[in-house]
Amino acid sequence: MVALVIVLALVVALLTVLVAGLLRSHADILKSLHDLGVGVGDPAEEGTDGATSRPVTVPLTMGPTLPPGRDSTSSPTVAGVTPTGDALAVAPAGSPGLTLLAFLSTGCASCAGFWESFRDQSGLGLPPGTRLVVVTKGPDREIPGEVAALASPGLAVVMSSDAWTDYEVPGSPFFVLVDGASGRRIGEGVANHFRQVAELVRRAEVDAAAFAPGTRSERAVGIDGPARESDNDAELRAAGILPGDPSLYPTSLEDLYGPPDARMPVADGRIRRAG
Amino acid sequence: MATLQAHGIGASLPLGFEGRIFRRQGTGPEQACTVAQFATFALPEEVGDFGGGAVTLMGDTDVYASLFEYGPDSLGTRLFARQGMPRALSTDDFRPYVLRRGLPGQSGTQWFFTEAGRPFTLYVVLGSHARRPALVPRANDLLGGLLVGAAPTPAPTTPGPTWN
Repeated sequence: MVALVIVLALVVALLTVLVAGLLRSHADILKSLHDLGVGVGDPAEEGTDGATSRPVTVPLTMGPTLPPGRDSTSSPTVAGVTPTGDALAVAPAGSPGLTLLAFLSTGCASCAGFWESFRDQSGLGLPPGTRLVVVTKGPDREIPGEVAALASPGLAVVMSSDAWTDYEVPGSPFFVLVDGASGRRIGEGVANHFRQVAELVRRAEVDAAAFAPGTRSERAVGIDGPARESDNDAELRAAGILPGDPSLYPTSLEDLYGPPDARMPVADGRIRRAG
Repeated sequence: MATLQAHGIGASLPLGFEGRIFRRQGTGPEQACTVAQFATFALPEEVGDFGGGAVTLMGDTDVYASLFEYGPDSLGTRLFARQGMPRALSTDDFRPYVLRRGLPGQSGTQWFFTEAGRPFTLYVVLGSHARRPALVPRANDLLGGLLVGAAPTPAPTTPGPTWN
């Protein structure tokens, strides 16, 4: 009898440990999803520690994992008709800027908020020069009149079922970001709010600018000696820093970063100037 | 290859081209007209019939083309005597002064013709006159994929369902 009680106690203890581990794992997953912006509620508005502006590193693919084996880099031309019966073709790879393709439908409840957001394109928060194109399914699957009723004036809308196939869109809403300079998709996924998409575009733009051909990062690779020195001089001159400029001869940390109260730490440990 | 089809004009777009085919609604006594615009760069939402607002965005390697249909009263006039759209332009066809809006470095060409009983003008702009040996073939690739059919007849106005 005593042995049975001991065995049962051990089993109960083991199960307790397992349940605790599962709960801990579940909490970690929820926390990670929350940091990625796909948790329940809006992390940006519900910061528990008050650090709502803490930058988080998120992959360029948003939302649930997409099916494997997708050709997620090509960016074919989107060609179809407009809700008013005209023909329209957009070549995201033909322009040097970014093109955001928003695959929406008239029937999905999640899309309604995006249609509404697009009524004021100036307030979307997209980087300047980013082209927004809404892609619905073709007239065989969508009613042009309903699309026209949702599309605000000035919004580029292409009705093309082929585009949904070309971009392997799993459902709506779905967003694809194309870098025209490289002609490749650099981000895709789903989102609950457009500000999540805008943040993706903003970060992609920063990355694209940092590594674009001809930028300092690109040119600095492979040059050394006098060529590198000349390149540095050119960069400084372009920034208005000429020989003898006091900023070239710092004598203290304040000269580099300003007064201590004007500095604030960011998540990756670098120091950033306030304001 | 992307294809466009509207208002009696079809286009098989070469790689890198985008375009639109639409009806420009007339204002006042003006007649509505069909316009087709094609470019190797991102066409802004609002573009003039002959590239106003777009050609200023062109880079050295860009091509812009516009196909503009005139009204039926132009049919049979000497200006539109040429039959068929030119589909094989040469580098000599382009001149820097043949531009609706003269922009340094660019050049253009304009042709008036009749095809499928419809009077058109074709206006093509190169982003760089100096690079026309490389750009003219791209323009020809586009023109080779353009089809002009008969003007679509307006849909008959059928009376809608009526209630008793």
